Amino acid sequence: MTIIPAVISTVIFFGSLILIFSEKIHRTITAIAGAALMVVLGQILGFYSEEAALKAIDFNTLGLLLGMMILVAMLEPTGFFQYLAVLAARSSKGNPKRLFLLLGIITTILSMFLDNVTTVVLIAPVTILICEIVGISVLPFLVSEALLSNTGGVATLIGDPPNVLIGSAAGLSFNDFLIYSMPIVLVSWAGALFLLQYLFKKELSKKPRSIKAIMRLNPAETLNEPLIAHRILIVLGGAILFFFFHNALHVSPSLVALGAAAIALVWVQPDLQEVLKHIEWGVLIFFGALFVMVGGLEHAGVMESIVGLLKRASDVPPVLFGVGLIWVVAVLSAVVDNVPITIALIPVIKGLGESGMDIAPLWWALAFGAGFGGSGTMIGSTANIIVTTLSEKTRTPITAKLWNKRGLPVMLVTCAIASILYAVVFRWM
Amino acid sequence: MNVTVCMKRNVVSVREKTTIREATSIFVKKHIGLLPVVDDDDKPVGVIGMRDMLTLELPDFVTFLADVDFVHDFGAVEDIHPSAKTLNKTVKSLMKPAITVKEDCGLLRAYSLLVQHNQHDMPVVSKEGKLVGITSRVDIGAAILSTWLKADK
Repeated sequence: MTIIPAVISTVIFFGSLILIFSEKIHRTITAIAGAALMVVLGQILGFYSEEAALKAIDFNTLGLLLGMMILVAMLEPTGFFQYLAVLAARSSKGNPKRLFLLLGIITTILSMFLDNVTTVVLIAPVTILICEIVGISVLPFLVSEALLSNTGGVATLIGDPPNVLIGSAAGLSFNDFLIYSMPIVLVSWAGALFLLQYLFKKELSKKPRSIKAIMRLNPAETLNEPLIAHRILIVLGGAILFFFFHNALHVSPSLVALGAAAIALVWVQPDLQEVLKHIEWGVLIFFGALFVMVGGLEHAGVMESIVGLLKRASDVPPVLFGVGLIWVVAVLSAVVDNVPITIALIPVIKGLGESGMDIAPLWWALAFGAGFGGSGTMIGSTANIIVTTLSEKTRTPITAKLWNKRGLPVMLVTCAIASILYAVVFRWM
Repeated sequence: MNVTVCMKRNVVSVREKTTIREATSIFVKKHIGLLPVVDDDDKPVGVIGMRDMLTLELPDFVTFLADVDFVHDFGAVEDIHPSAKTLNKTVKSLMKPAITVKEDCGLLRAYSLLVQHNQHDMPVVSKEGKLVGITSRVDIGAAILSTWLKADK
């Protein structure tokens, strides 16, 4: 490794991370600027090139995210998510504890198959509606929806962007996640749910003021376009079925998602401009730019030296190494977006693998840490930021203090449960 | 024709330090849609519309949902009113920038400004910028329509 490229690429990457953390500039703008700087300086100093930068982009991840975004963008205007929430509200009969449980479960299941951000964006507004007309505080619900979707998303390959990245880099299939990740996530999730019920005990035992109002909500009326909802759900169901077999069929998850998006587009023929408007281009560009930046770090030899340093710690028992990784990644993900952390750690773990370490368990440690760590702070995950921003436009804003009392314990408990189970099943991973 | 033909000269206005509670009772008593806020020289510094007042009562979910047709019963939010703390705030916290026209402004221009800024009422000011009247879509509209009748004769 030559020292100048290493220092320059490290400064660019960590400078970008700090800017992303400070939230002074939009994270996508920071990432684009950082990526451009990395390529330009890389060309000048000879450690990086345009071709290498393009190769560094994981198009499998981008394709999977884009495909799922198209499906959700088409499903969103049909009112399907309101429909689910209204069903939950009615069957809770206005009992806040039951409503809490039902909305929590719906959010979790949705977050397993859709991006967490999408899940929260779609479920939070109708949650505000239900809580307001029933006359109970919406805070426990909003905070829990973000935390439970952070937690639940870790269970599947497509539930969480870090999982998409890890799955693509490590060649893990949809079923691998169901076998290795889901059981541990389910136990951690149950822990999170119990903890949240306990922490919000006071708010949830308040008597609702108007139960009649939610019984007058008619779920059927919430569906604006039942036929379209029907078609997209069939396609989405088919895609999920294909995810189970994608490995056996030798098809990448991104092809499944993009194929499903194509079928839905042909079948429904929506206003394409409207669909494209709802795609989160900023997120996709953010990912692409981060790949380019981390590619620069790799080419400058920084990852190799980190791997070298970690190798010295190889006399640590592998289980402890894995559990340590969960916590280090979790703490990092609580303060910075978990996507750059994951993208940066993937080559490190690959490097450890090349040097002879058994890295299969480390991928899961990375997934648990990145997924659960985000719950720790108000800015730890995009889902947290979304419910907070939304609540700031209501009469009861979520504060950082509230998050420290509710979110941080959830992060600690889910990471602790995951660590214990991880250690128990380690030798089968 | 300019806006003076259709404006009301008897305008109720308040100062920035007026409380929302006082403004509320003015809205109720005078049955008006817009309350200009003026400085010591009678120059408008802002306006509070009926709409701005009612946002204090509007449930949060109305802002977030694309459609509330399916909500037949607003339940618990029906009997929530702004707290005493909110009512004690000054109108300064609620007011919006004033869209005004001068006395010599033509009817069509005045109406276009209302449409563009999505307003229903508009203060009219003198050359020196002092508040002299108030006019509305209905006032301006009726004045414009009356010119049709004259032209039709």
